[in-house]
Amino acid sequence: MLTPIQTIKKKRAEAVNRIISKGYLSTKRVYVGMATCEIAAGSKDVMDVFRQAIANGLTDVYLSQKGCAGRCNLEPTVEVVEEGKIPVKYGRVTPQRARDIVERHLKKGEIIAEWTI
Amino acid sequence: MKETKYKLTLCDGTACIQNQSKVLHQALEAELDKHGLRQSVSIHLSGCLGICQKGPVLIVNPGYIMYGRVQVEDIPEIVESHLVRNKAVTRLIITEDHLYNRFFRIFGDVDFFGKQMRICLRNCGVIDPENIDDYLSLRGYEALAKALESMTPEEVIAEVKKSGLRGRGGAGFPTGLKWEFTAKQTADDKYVICNADEGDPGAFMDRSAIEGDPHTVLEGMIIAGYAIGAKKGIIYIRAEYPLAIERLEKAIAAAREHGILGANVLGSDFSFDIEIRLGAGAFVCGEETALIHSIEGHRGMPRPRPPYPSVKGLFGKPTLINNVETWASIPVILLDGGKWFSTVGTETSKGTKVFALAGKVHNTGLVEVPMGTTLREIIYDIGGGIPNGKTFKAVQTGGPSGGCLPAKYLDTQIDYESLAKAGSIMGSGGMIVIDEDSCMVGLAKFFIEFTQDESCGKCTPCREGTKRMYEILTRITEGKGQPGDIEKLERLGEMIKRSSLCGLGQSAPNPVLSTIKNFREEYEEHIHSKKCRAGQCAAMLSYTVNVKCVGCGACKRICPVGAVEGTRKEKHLILQDKCIRCGQCYEVCKFDAITKA
Repeated sequence: MLTPIQTIKKKRAEAVNRIISKGYLSTKRVYVGMATCEIAAGSKDVMDVFRQAIANGLTDVYLSQKGCAGRCNLEPTVEVVEEGKIPVKYGRVTPQRARDIVERHLKKGEIIAEWTI
Repeated sequence: MKETKYKLTLCDGTACIQNQSKVLHQALEAELDKHGLRQSVSIHLSGCLGICQKGPVLIVNPGYIMYGRVQVEDIPEIVESHLVRNKAVTRLIITEDHLYNRFFRIFGDVDFFGKQMRICLRNCGVIDPENIDDYLSLRGYEALAKALESMTPEEVIAEVKKSGLRGRGGAGFPTGLKWEFTAKQTADDKYVICNADEGDPGAFMDRSAIEGDPHTVLEGMIIAGYAIGAKKGIIYIRAEYPLAIERLEKAIAAAREHGILGANVLGSDFSFDIEIRLGAGAFVCGEETALIHSIEGHRGMPRPRPPYPSVKGLFGKPTLINNVETWASIPVILLDGGKWFSTVGTETSKGTKVFALAGKVHNTGLVEVPMGTTLREIIYDIGGGIPNGKTFKAVQTGGPSGGCLPAKYLDTQIDYESLAKAGSIMGSGGMIVIDEDSCMVGLAKFFIEFTQDESCGKCTPCREGTKRMYEILTRITEGKGQPGDIEKLERLGEMIKRSSLCGLGQSAPNPVLSTIKNFREEYEEHIHSKKCRAGQCAAMLSYTVNVKCVGCGACKRICPVGAVEGTRKEKHLILQDKCIRCGQCYEVCKFDAITKA
């Protein structure tokens, strides 16, 4: 019988494994803000762009939602995080910008500096 | 733009400054210049990182390499080895880190977040709130496991008391004491309640905290259940937060599936479960006794205290009620220690506070700062100041229960006592910045309109008094103010404060009284000169055409009531008896030819 701390450590290890097996470390992680405020600013459409891109064959991307980071005036926000690199934070992401992020950043690795926070 | 290769974050907390971090900053800049790296390396300042005993702290990104006890002599080595040759200086690396610093791994180089310290919001914007794996992977529910396995309920309460945490709902009652009172009661049933009935206009701290990281609230509540001997938790949240409710439901379901909620939590002999109760959005239900009535199925009305809910609460049983932010602080206190938590903040107020920064500032948003941060730091350093070159006029804290502080209070340190001393309150965390374009009388009217609407009607002073105050303020803004109105407002306000039963009535006159105290001349202008200096009270405005008019006719075309007369290329005229002062002519004129006075 495991103690509570042993139980939670086991659960954590399993959770970390599940996350890594989805490509957490090996890919570009894309976080789309999906709190009420972000959704009101249009983040659902932005999320759809990324989902669609993955459905259309975009690989090496770990797509996740996130809560509100607190940057109301720059929402919707999207982060692209790659292990060992400085996380890139985009603000005021429209569906059009999201499509450009897919084409330029996710596919070609180009950071679109003018949209970063 | 050239890509930044390294981003350095230098801790700018008080302890690190005392340890010469400013000198380090200069040395770093000089050293970067020497190697010609100024273009590819950026230096950022952060608020206290909470690792003061290892300070000064320098973080190098990417990689989140953290150097501690950095001395000026170490700078050349760090620059030459790490930034030039990409080899970290292992002898200086420290691995101590706090739970909340995870946030800064992603956002540490954004200046908006620099002065912040994210304890409650540590996972907001970092993890997927709908995936318990994300929470578990960041030491989620470890504090609960630690409490269950290695601490007695008394030790948990002692830890919370040691932290100095005070209720984040606004009143600031010491959380540990509240827990202790409830724990001491003997009863067959006890309840733990999360008060998520956030109702201040313009405040959204609780919603964001729940939407960004629901599990931390659950964890705090389960720990409290263990500490006070309760088996049941209830989250009281308003129905107008559908996404927060959905995420809480998902979180509760996932926690049950993992054996974290339900019978025998994490294999221990402690059982606890949580359910959600929806409120219909009445402001008064944020008051704890009204909230309890609402959960019991009665009308949401407060009752006199004592007995306090800790003795006789929900269904007559001992009940522990805390705010969302209070709950979110608990796991950090247990993991990093109450002693550490008490090092953050001021003498009387420990830890951090979340504020919803709104109004006339560049960067609106949700900010979490250590207690003791000044209003100026929040509004100017984090908020980026007032847009469009306007002048700061006041900051409103505490929503409809709080007050307006003018510029002379900008250097007030934020804690429960100093805000009260300045004439406002901490409140639940609304912070509205006001510039010269806002009318203080109109602002007071807005808040009193809100409270008179939300008054439950139980006490006459609150029900009738706020209504009368609203009427007086309305007539002042309509240009029909009478001499003596200010004194009447003051008398009424003091009386309502003294004779109301609950916090709603006791604090409802605050926005009016504090604006009278700090902006009395504006009230006097409205009453005696029939003038609104902000140009907001429509009834006191008049629009006239001045000599700059070229006779383009734009105002004539847009005027909805045909109050503008004039022939093309000649100066136009506004008929004052027809004008409804909508201001459309003023907006449309390209030649500044309309004077608003």
